[in-house]
Amino acid sequence: MKIISFKKYSIAGLMVIASCTNLDEKNYLYDTATNQNFGQTDAEVVSLMAAAYTNLYGSFGSDGSIMRLEEVPTDEIVVPQRGPDWGDGGHWVRLKLHTTKPDDGGPGNTWSFLFKGVNTCNRVLSILEPIGTPASTKFMSEIKALRAIYYYWLLDLFGNVPISTDFTQTDPPPNNTRKEVYDFVEKELLAALPDLQKTGPNDNGTYGRVNYYTAETVLAKLYLNAEVYTGTAQWDKAIAASDEIINSNLFSLMPNYSDNFKKDNKGGTESIWVIPYDEIQATGFQLPHMTLHMASQETYKMGGQPWNGWASVQEFYNSYIDPAQNPGPQGTVVGLDPKGTPIQGTKDKRLGNFIVGPQFTSDGVSPLNDAGYEAASDPDGPQLNFTPYMNELVPAAWRQTGARIGKYEFYKGMTGQLSNDWVLFRYADILLTKAEALARKAANWNDPTALALVNQIRTVHGGVTPYATMTAATFLAERGREMFFECTRRQDQIRFDTYNSAFRFHPADPSKHVNLFPIPESVLNANKNLKQNPGY
Amino acid sequence: MNMHFYFFKRFKYVTILAITMLFCTAVFAQVAIQGKVTDNTGNGLPGVSVLIKGSSVGTSTDVNGSYSLTVPNSKAVLIFSYVGFPTQEVEVGSKTTLNVSLLPNQGQLNEVVVVGYGTQRRKEVTSAVATVTAAQFNKGNISDVSQLLQGKVAGLSISKPGGNPNGGFTLRLRGLSTLGANTSPLVVVDGQVGADINTVDPNDIQSIDVLKDAASGAIYGTRGSSGVIIITTKRGGRTPTVAYNGSVTAEDPVEFTPHMTAAEYVKAGGKDLGASTDWNDEITRTAVSQIHNLSFSGGSGGGTSYIASLNYRDVQGVAITTGFNQLNAHFGLTQKALKDRLTFTIDGNATRRSSTFGWDRAFQYATIFNPTAPLRTTDAPGAGGLNLTGSGYVEQNFVEYANPLAVLEQNTNKGTLKRMNINTSGQIEIIHGLKFLMRYAQENTSNFRSAYLPKTSFDTRLLDGGSGFTKNGLAQQQDNESHTQLFESILSFEKKVSSKLNLNALAGYSYQDFLYNGLYVRAGDFLSDVNADNITNAGDFKNGKAISNSYKNGSRLVAFFGRVNLNYNDFAFLSASLRREGSTQFGTNNKWGNFPAVSAGLDIGKLVSVNKVNSLKLRASYGVTGALPPNSYLSQFLYGPTGRSFLYNGVYIPAYEPTQNSNPDLKWEKKAEFDIGLDFAMFNNRLTGSADYYNRKTSDLLFNATVPVPPYPTDRRWMNIGTLENTGIEFLVAYDVIKSKAFNWNTSVNFSTFNIKLASLNKDLAGTVIGASNLGSPGQEQTQITRAVEGESIGLIWGPVYKGLDPTGKFLFDDGTGKAVLSDAYKTKIGNGLPDFELGWTNTFRYKNFDLNFFLRGSFGHDIVNTYRAFFENSTPTNIASYNVVTSKYFNTALTSQPTFSSLYVEKGTFVKLDNATLGYDFDFKNDGAIKGLRAFVNGQNLFVITDYTGIDPEVRYSYGGNILAPGVDARDTWVRTRSFTFGINLKF
Repeated sequence: MKIISFKKYSIAGLMVIASCTNLDEKNYLYDTATNQNFGQTDAEVVSLMAAAYTNLYGSFGSDGSIMRLEEVPTDEIVVPQRGPDWGDGGHWVRLKLHTTKPDDGGPGNTWSFLFKGVNTCNRVLSILEPIGTPASTKFMSEIKALRAIYYYWLLDLFGNVPISTDFTQTDPPPNNTRKEVYDFVEKELLAALPDLQKTGPNDNGTYGRVNYYTAETVLAKLYLNAEVYTGTAQWDKAIAASDEIINSNLFSLMPNYSDNFKKDNKGGTESIWVIPYDEIQATGFQLPHMTLHMASQETYKMGGQPWNGWASVQEFYNSYIDPAQNPGPQGTVVGLDPKGTPIQGTKDKRLGNFIVGPQFTSDGVSPLNDAGYEAASDPDGPQLNFTPYMNELVPAAWRQTGARIGKYEFYKGMTGQLSNDWVLFRYADILLTKAEALARKAANWNDPTALALVNQIRTVHGGVTPYATMTAATFLAERGREMFFECTRRQDQIRFDTYNSAFRFHPADPSKHVNLFPIPESVLNANKNLKQNPGY
Repeated sequence: MNMHFYFFKRFKYVTILAITMLFCTAVFAQVAIQGKVTDNTGNGLPGVSVLIKGSSVGTSTDVNGSYSLTVPNSKAVLIFSYVGFPTQEVEVGSKTTLNVSLLPNQGQLNEVVVVGYGTQRRKEVTSAVATVTAAQFNKGNISDVSQLLQGKVAGLSISKPGGNPNGGFTLRLRGLSTLGANTSPLVVVDGQVGADINTVDPNDIQSIDVLKDAASGAIYGTRGSSGVIIITTKRGGRTPTVAYNGSVTAEDPVEFTPHMTAAEYVKAGGKDLGASTDWNDEITRTAVSQIHNLSFSGGSGGGTSYIASLNYRDVQGVAITTGFNQLNAHFGLTQKALKDRLTFTIDGNATRRSSTFGWDRAFQYATIFNPTAPLRTTDAPGAGGLNLTGSGYVEQNFVEYANPLAVLEQNTNKGTLKRMNINTSGQIEIIHGLKFLMRYAQENTSNFRSAYLPKTSFDTRLLDGGSGFTKNGLAQQQDNESHTQLFESILSFEKKVSSKLNLNALAGYSYQDFLYNGLYVRAGDFLSDVNADNITNAGDFKNGKAISNSYKNGSRLVAFFGRVNLNYNDFAFLSASLRREGSTQFGTNNKWGNFPAVSAGLDIGKLVSVNKVNSLKLRASYGVTGALPPNSYLSQFLYGPTGRSFLYNGVYIPAYEPTQNSNPDLKWEKKAEFDIGLDFAMFNNRLTGSADYYNRKTSDLLFNATVPVPPYPTDRRWMNIGTLENTGIEFLVAYDVIKSKAFNWNTSVNFSTFNIKLASLNKDLAGTVIGASNLGSPGQEQTQITRAVEGESIGLIWGPVYKGLDPTGKFLFDDGTGKAVLSDAYKTKIGNGLPDFELGWTNTFRYKNFDLNFFLRGSFGHDIVNTYRAFFENSTPTNIASYNVVTSKYFNTALTSQPTFSSLYVEKGTFVKLDNATLGYDFDFKNDGAIKGLRAFVNGQNLFVITDYTGIDPEVRYSYGGNILAPGVDARDTWVRTRSFTFGINLKF
């Protein structure tokens, strides 16, 4: 009896053992998708390709990634240390001083954003390649063009980056030279052009995606900076690429400059390529957080607390209102003294790029008070007042100083993630590119076509007096006013050789190696085949 | 499963048979025996099992150590056994009164020690195992099982900075031996492997055994690396016993972060808002807590014994609105049958804990909120004044700043934890010495959390990712569920091979599966606060702003194991074990690992006779244990939604991307450990102790490493990346200083050292900074304060070296050559967050019915980053305009620099605490009275601290923001340190 019970017991035990040694994790995959079970339907495949574009969300229009490198080192933006805020280990200040280190967050985050884009494109291409239909071939060209654009930014910021086109490659790739990267970008874009759609800004199918004119724009910008990138100027090619866009007649200057950047700016006639942000579906555009003061939350009934960081610089603001630099209709504008006392100055319509002067609550009339105002450093009392004047970069910039970035419309009830679409490439930039290339080719800043193009922008967008004559400096100033906070300033200053000179909060650079950023330390550690950029 | 059913049927029949048999025996039994069981100091030992040898008839002693029992005849032998004490067998003979003394001098080495899948006598143990019995547990306001052990076991560090009643303890055995796996020891409760340490109530625990070295832990394979804690619950005896333990505790905050008073603040340039408020005082209170435990135990002549208990705790936190109440029921039933050859057990535990967590950030705000601000304001609501949200509480709009009183009073943060455990086993002795055991156990937990910030709440940063105040009501609800099943079968064999050689062997199979799932929702914009518990009333659901998440994952562990123990003449001992274990969490190329162990002991005392030495045992062990990857699926290539949608032909569609790289080679961390130890007893056993040296090396460290993109699809990959080396010594010495009938004094000291080094990293990663952590907001983002460096000790604090102030009050730092410069560019090691050694010192005095116990505990050599000071010990105008100023002894009014991290904020953390002191009195009662025992005690916890640390609590911080490579950071949301006094009684009848 007992023996039997033991036998049955042990047999049952053995049966359990036999059935319970299977350790395949497939049986336990409940909430995750793997490369084995995902990518089976059309919708799933499209969602995998979409990542090549959604990688852009949270880059432009945010303070975590590429905007740090494109804007903070220039003369149009400053992120000062405001006492206890924005010290952050000194990396913001180092960006301004052009002393960024390989282990700072700016290069690291930007590198990973761009190479994630490259890698995602490679992965999408590896999915598309075997399909081999005409539609898939066209889509491959679009993705290759997108990859070339990621490389255009890498070329511009880091220069000597590894070219990677094969998703199945397993060795960490070594550096290519900046010239090789330039050639790669040019070749890839030219090769893609025939397959890309020649659609305008109102086309639903290509809105937010790379089309023919996006590729031409990047080519125009590539050629405009070719001398910086390769040592050889390409003015004719820049003009030709610009003309491809201008002569399409699909684009035109918006009569009202600020409409380019309003909340519902979809289909603006200047928008060549945008990031189609949405406060719910496509988040990552967090300019209100970056620039507004904590108390401004009340002004806009904003869904989060702003960080009181990014601002513009007094000289740059002054380039709009100073009649000598920017002749035009005069009126009352916020002045440059520490109180922002109103003065007479040029009323450029593009002054809406800034939020300056006394601030009010959401009713628009009640003064908005800053509880933390300091009597010693804030002569105008507790009301929040954004002054173009900024006392210092570090360590104790006053909390209310700095003209705030108002280029994109801030609307009541915004979450802090804007729904405005970020304009990556804009028609006005193409007009200025053509103007500059013409002037430089002719070695004459008063080249009539160039002057006409610039004055078209001055009159339509600025509502200011056309230039009678132009110099490199006045051209650059006009480009600055028009293209403020559109990530062209660093390129422009390098091209006009002002990037390494002294400007507000930035002493002259002893060496030009800073015109390329260092390859991030974490990347060098992870990829032993890479070498650091010279000078770091 | 069929088998279990069959078992039940048989069981019923057998039980009836057994009861009938025992009844018959009882009829003819004639000899009544009574007596008292005492310990070495002559005091009664309660709960000692008294069993008639060869039967299941028995009883247990009452609270005074007395027992009475009827035995069949004078030849009967009584077995007295008690966990932690030696077992004694006494023949009844002609006596009717049989007093027994369970004394260490009759063999402390006979003490029963619970080891993995079995028990051994202390003298047979060949690896590093520590036993703590209920008598040695910490007393007082104890609501967490970890507290019972704090400071009691050499090498086991238990830490909880601050007095948060809902905060957990960090447990570390012999320091850190992993990078990416679980750092807490594996917990086994009555054979249920992997149970939560708080499965059982502290009141229901009989003893706790700690397996410290790899040889003892290797039988638990992939989960043995961080050590093993084995909990044995109290079992029923035969005498029906009802016991009640009750206590009430008053707990007060003893220390706050030093900061400016209202007057000092105004004088230093802070804005005067007219009042004088001590914010810490406003948010804290004397917390009153009570604990009640009622238990019944006993047994019947039919081989049945039972214990059932009910535990209720109502605990307040010193922060207003915080605390928890908890009800736990426990039962344990043992049934023997077939002449004791069949043993069947069922244990159950059910717990419901309802917590109000409050908000840890309130303590940060209480330190930095303007001390001149009144609590409330009558200003008109709106941005113009102090009534920013219309709540009536004073609020000001700075970064990470809110009225601490409003934070705790306005917002709710609640949770309900339910845990149910079932653990059942059946064991049959097939032939003499050969036993087969099957166990099935299940643990289920459900943890529901809900938080609500009402419409006028200011600080939505309280919830992760929140910022600003105009959320118009914000609710968050989440539920986390887990379900674990364990099935094990074990065949064990015990045989006396020859007159001198004893063999003990076992073989087993273990299967365990784990399932986790949960749901999370957050939404704001409510019409009204009154129905916000229904989160669907949030407007955010209408416009897509609500956030939700859900998950479900699982894994499986399968193992085969075996062990052989040899005992040669109680002189030489040998043990060898092997576990072969596999997990679904490993990569496809490495599914199964082997975890061997071998250990040996030699009783030198038997070999050479040294004067005054009673016993001397040398033991050495070597073993290999493992550690699992921390989550499921880490070896898989995964796709996941990017969270942001792609505009595709004018419509947003989801985008997916690789979220994890595959690693088919991913495997367990492997820890190999050598331990050599000496157990000794001297001077007629008045001096006892043990000493251990260990050397462990953990290889194949698990880490989520940064990898290059390209070629990898995404930038992180779980890999086995390097080795940790870890050495230390431990000793425990106990001495009976005075030993007499009326007065006893026993003192015991335990001591342990730690030395942990990151020995090597894979060549791919060499030079990479791992273990970096960030000081954080406001203003000190991207400020690295810790790192792990190849070839260096774990726990490095990293930063500039402070060299004083220049004449204008600016910080000066070392430039690397010893020169003082303004730049903080040169950074180096400026401390280590882990202790060099730890000490515990217990003293027990007993005078007649009084007993006094006090316990000192210390950690030595660790450093702490005082983040309060790093952020707020700065009275420059821009800082004092926003924040109150921390004023430790290091505060310097001459400072003009902005907050910059340096060695100035790294302090020595060495401390000694009077952790616990208890004064008790045992009342005398006659044995036949209704009340069998009464003890009353008063207890004080955390009575004083000796330390140089200027923060509130110098306890070792083992991790920072979950980063175990970043110890030593005193986070700003740590609760204040508290002191508590408890009065309690233990009553038995």
